[in-house]
Amino acid sequence: MEIQEITGFFKEELFVADLKGKTRDEVLDELTEKFISGNFIKNHELVLDMLHRRESVGSTGIGHGIAIPHGRTTAAPELTIAFGKSSAGVEWEALDGEPVHLVFLVIAPPYEENNHYLPTLGKLVEFLSKAENRDRLKAIDNFQDFISLFSQ
Amino acid sequence: MKNELEILVALQDLDLMLKELDEVRQLGFDVRSEGEEALAKAREELVGQISKPLLGNYERLRAKYKRAIVPVKGDTCLGCFMKLPTYLLTHMQRDQRVINCEGCGRILYWLK
Ligand SMILES: [Zn+2]
Repeated sequence: MEIQEITGFFKEELFVADLKGKTRDEVLDELTEKFISGNFIKNHELVLDMLHRRESVGSTGIGHGIAIPHGRTTAAPELTIAFGKSSAGVEWEALDGEPVHLVFLVIAPPYEENNHYLPTLGKLVEFLSKAENRDRLKAIDNFQDFISLFSQ
Repeated sequence: MKNELEILVALQDLDLMLKELDEVRQLGFDVRSEGEEALAKAREELVGQISKPLLGNYERLRAKYKRAIVPVKGDTCLGCFMKLPTYLLTHMQRDQRVINCEGCGRILYWLK
């Protein structure tokens, strides 16, 4: 799988240039709400419970100001990714203790024909391990620039 | 208070998570062993809220199909792609009850 293939899972309605949430729980709630208002998922509580459960196993803050909360849920019709930026930074109990500025929320159904879920998580981790990609993401403020960053 | 269908769905979501923890860890994510224990405990709690026959139904379906609960899209079961009768769809939407597909037996979940 190539990083370009991921662009199909991003949605303009799920792009948040300036997160309001100040805590991990608030940000998870805020991004999950985007899935509801964008009509991608109907059950807010179910998804949020799943995300909290995932965080209880270990933080999804992978370091360098990045968090990739993720999970499969029966409530999701297809693999979809929300993106949010926080200029202030959010405490996420990340591996390196740093506050989180870039959040990718990856929601997948229980089963997908192409099985893109785990490869997508892997590609995101790989892409975000590069400092230049993180810096570019921090500089963008609209969905078109965001998508083109992943299309190069 | 969640209804039985919602608890079942939460259980399936948790089971999906448990199944892929090792793979997620290999991708570089933080997955702690004490976290796994907490998940197992959370599973016990959910299981305790589900009646024995329904839990048996879920476990049998899970062993047979991997996914015990499948979404309904339009009027079609996405497990076996059988068209569901209208009265079933009405029941599902109105009552949020546990209903098994007449074709494959899987538990149906209304996505929209
Ligand atoms: Zn069926």
